[in-house]
Amino acid sequence: MVHAEEVTRSFGGVKALDRVSLFVGSGEVFGLLGPNGAGKTTLVRILSGVLRPDGGRAWVAGLEVGKEPEGVKARIGYATQEASVYRDLTVEENLLFRARLYRPKEARALVEEILSRFGLQPYARSLAGHLSGGWRQRLALAQAVVHRPEVLFLDEPTTGLDPLSRRRIWDLIHQEAARGAAVLVTTHYMDEAERCHRLALLYGGRVLATGTPQELKALAQARARFLFVPGGSLEAVAALPGVLEAWPSGEGVRLIAKKDAPLGEGFQEVAPSLEDVFALLTREAP
Amino acid sequence: MNRILALAEKEFLQIRRDRVLPRLIVLLPSLMLLLFGYAINFTLKHIPLALHDAAQDRISQALLAALGEEERFRLAYTAQTPEEVVEAVDRGRARVGLVVPPGALERVRRGESVALEVYVDGTDPNFAFQAQAALRRAIQEVNARIQVGRALAGEAVLPPLSPSLHTLYNPENKTAWFMIPGIIGLVLTMFTVLLTALSIVREVESRMMESLLASPLRPHEMVLGKVLPYLVIAFGVALLVLALGHWVFGVPVRGSLALLLLAMFLFVLGSLAAGVLISTLARTQVQAVFGTYAYAFPTIFLSGFVFPIDGMPRFFQFLSYLVPARYLIEVLRGVMLKGVGLGVLWPHLLALALFSALVLFLASARFQRQVAV
Repeated sequence: MVHAEEVTRSFGGVKALDRVSLFVGSGEVFGLLGPNGAGKTTLVRILSGVLRPDGGRAWVAGLEVGKEPEGVKARIGYATQEASVYRDLTVEENLLFRARLYRPKEARALVEEILSRFGLQPYARSLAGHLSGGWRQRLALAQAVVHRPEVLFLDEPTTGLDPLSRRRIWDLIHQEAARGAAVLVTTHYMDEAERCHRLALLYGGRVLATGTPQELKALAQARARFLFVPGGSLEAVAALPGVLEAWPSGEGVRLIAKKDAPLGEGFQEVAPSLEDVFALLTREAP
Repeated sequence: MNRILALAEKEFLQIRRDRVLPRLIVLLPSLMLLLFGYAINFTLKHIPLALHDAAQDRISQALLAALGEEERFRLAYTAQTPEEVVEAVDRGRARVGLVVPPGALERVRRGESVALEVYVDGTDPNFAFQAQAALRRAIQEVNARIQVGRALAGEAVLPPLSPSLHTLYNPENKTAWFMIPGIIGLVLTMFTVLLTALSIVREVESRMMESLLASPLRPHEMVLGKVLPYLVIAFGVALLVLALGHWVFGVPVRGSLALLLLAMFLFVLGSLAAGVLISTLARTQVQAVFGTYAYAFPTIFLSGFVFPIDGMPRFFQFLSYLVPARYLIEVLRGVMLKGVGLGVLWPHLLALALFSALVLFLASARFQRQVAV
């Protein structure tokens, strides 16, 4: 369980986080969706007790982060943005080192268990530096969860991976949630956001909206129309009154328009993607 | 404690897995020792001599024999004229030139002084100083012999002052004896400071620090876990140098070994902390290397490792009090060569303890602040 309340943090006058509040329950995969520089990593660092917030409070695994950062650190798993593994150690040694930091007595058993659960056994004695990107990322994830944390923070766990590797990583993430962990994942991939139970859209250090992917799309549909014009010209469509955004798509033009836009015939209503939602909400953001 | 050990073991594994580092750790100090012990010799021997002997009598023969004693000089060039002597030094065939004037024996018999012309290559002041001393000794020996002969014949009296020299601690002036305590100091400085600084900066550079910070590892555990392997390595290497010095070069350990180890421990503690301190200031491994050099250079030049502190200008003598290796080397030389104990060496040990405490305090304060952003 993660609970943030009005968390604020500035770096030299620039507000990286502006009164961010969110809640992640046990067994939930919660996505933090936003472009680079939105404040995703800053939030994860604050929640994991590495960075102090300027204002606001946060509870992780039942402990207040500001008051008991050490207690929080013992209960969480944190996979940093770069696949942080020791390349000159083997897969097994990497995992054993992590496990010993948290649970020295059960370390051996925990490593065996995670090796088989993550399918890393064939590579147990390979140097981490010799693994391919996908497997290294899998190892990074494995070492974040080897001690079975109650809360899991994953900072862009699939950056730079091919679609197949990404799918496997996401399967493993859901496995962790099924075990009962509260998982907070940051990403800037819209398609990945679809795989989360719930999402928060983070933009310029502020939460624009929170909800399930479906809720967010419904919210967007209540505020605007998402349309497609087969064979339309981009310039002509973009120039129409009430059109918020337009871009070429296949044999026609996709557009977002105001609810009351006076549009004529030939416009087909389409279901918005999360990217559409994001585009609309960031337009509305101050 | 478990976490410290986990980190220390991980560190050991990484050192062992490194292809070059373990060999370097053992080879480098050993080579340094052999180099300083065998190759670099501050006691001059076989100084090449150019000689023009116009006398060719018993006096010049006695002088030549005295010069050859204890392998001080060797005759490298026999000149036909006095000018050729200087030329030989110019050309580098000889480094010392000697001209014995004609009729030396007759002059001595008449009770006159024989004016020997001596030319010493002064490009290296250290060499010139030692060559002059060796020449003077040879001439004194010849003088003494002549005077003894005269005294027996009842002709003259012996000189009123004659020194009877006792060189203490290292009577044979063996360079290795002088160097080995210094090498131990240098090895301890380089290994501890450099390796510690590098290992912490590497952690930051490879972004591993972030995930260690988010683990239950406390800052002081991180420092201890990082430092522990290098403490063991540095101590092992210091003992290796000590053992090599003892068995290969016969350097004695006349005082208490425990005192020696205590001084080394205090010094290593401070040096490791200095490594941590450098790591908090350096952001890349290259910066850490240069930071270590900045720290190690004064150690080499101001600790009395090679260059005698007594020969330095006042200002640098004062500066040398700020170099911890100075105290370590004093203790090492005191215990090994002089065989003195705590009663004499306590000020140096106190200085080492103060240094270590200060640097440890600074390092942990800076590290804590860096971690708690």
